[in-house]
Amino acid sequence: MNCARTREHLLELIDGRLATETAAEVRKHLGECQACRNEFETLSRTLHALDSLPEVGPSGQLRANVMASIEAEKRALRAGKWQPAPRLPRPIRLPWRIGLQALAACVLLAFGYLAGSHRVSTQAGPANDATALQLADLKSRMDSMGQLVGYTLLQQQKGSANDRLEGVLTSATLQRPVGNVIDDLVSTLVLDPSANCRLNAVEALYAHADSEVVRTAIRVSLPREQSPLVQLAMIDFLAAVRDRDAAPAFQKLSTNALADPSVRVAAGRALTQL
Amino acid sequence: MDRPTPDSDHELMLSVREGDLDALGELFERHHGHLFGYLVRMTGERSSAEDIVQTVFQRMLKYRHTYRDEGSFTAWMYHLSRKCAADLRRKSASLPADGDPEVLSRQPDDTPGADERAAASDDRALLRTALDRLDPADREVLLLSRIRELSFAEVAEVLECSAGAARVRAHRALGELRDHFFKLQKEAPP
Repeated sequence: MNCARTREHLLELIDGRLATETAAEVRKHLGECQACRNEFETLSRTLHALDSLPEVGPSGQLRANVMASIEAEKRALRAGKWQPAPRLPRPIRLPWRIGLQALAACVLLAFGYLAGSHRVSTQAGPANDATALQLADLKSRMDSMGQLVGYTLLQQQKGSANDRLEGVLTSATLQRPVGNVIDDLVSTLVLDPSANCRLNAVEALYAHADSEVVRTAIRVSLPREQSPLVQLAMIDFLAAVRDRDAAPAFQKLSTNALADPSVRVAAGRALTQL
Repeated sequence: MDRPTPDSDHELMLSVREGDLDALGELFERHHGHLFGYLVRMTGERSSAEDIVQTVFQRMLKYRHTYRDEGSFTAWMYHLSRKCAADLRRKSASLPADGDPEVLSRQPDDTPGADERAAASDDRALLRTALDRLDPADREVLLLSRIRELSFAEVAEVLECSAGAARVRAHRALGELRDHFFKLQKEAPP
């Protein structure tokens, strides 16, 4: 074993964490090399001093606070409520014009759906499968658009970003279907103009990380997101849930010269985690 | 308590994930002291360390659904503490987080009492000052390597690097600490 290899193992040797065979090799080298022996002795003294620093304990308040959080969560579980994240986002307010455009699109889709339904129902014999599929797709889009319009119009009544955060915090604590909560949070993530709201939406979505819809929404939103902070939160999320489908997005971001440097680094790091 | 105690931290955390929240209390009792001690040395501030420990366990509670079957609980906990420290610092200082080690650390040269500690000619004080003078990333890897529950593979998991890189970085950091420490000893008044 040479000097470089020996020194690489000194920390573990001092701690007694080295495999027997390797430890023997390191000791053999130390017996033959004065420089490495000096290195070993001075590092040992330093480590001993470091480990001798007195331990300090936290205040009793820390335990009280953590236990209180656990008890609060237990109460919420017993009551059948989902305990919200400390700060949860509220869906957004869009300019009235966008709401109106969405409403117009919804009306057009509704018209198309009704007209198509009428045509199929008046056909003799079994309905055409392709047409039925198209209609199902159209209905799905209409439902989504209807949600967006309802959501948009609802937001016309809301105030500042803080109001929106507070609003979702309140709504999430009510016994609402999980799907509705996810819809609200995803809508906030995709549409809210406030980076703070979007950031909190990502945080709140951790509670629904098992949902494919949630993971897909974050994955799709990542390249479009303008705020590096929100992008970092999204990358953390996708890496934490080991979403392998996010690999292409991470790859692109990690090499995107226009992306924030911290985002590039985080994307590259996340890629190695997947 | 009728509930049987699971054998490992991992099993306890899996119980937490399944809704047995008392298991998190046990995990807190097992680990909060070491985590707090590490964070005090890392940040140099008790109050910050307490805030971070509290946030870590609250996040474990809140995001328990995301705990995965693989990996080490301890590594996950220290990884979370890195994230929490970064978030707390970002929120309190309204500054972008340049990197977790930076976020975890205070600025040694501005630390009140650093000079007084050095002048005290006490080895502990000198070592604390030497620790403060380390690059935050070096301090982080060195302090993580001193946690008995963490192997180098787990330190690497916390730092998101290879075990070999963690080992080399820890050795280099220890060398830096030694150099600062011995220099301070020489400079200290008799």
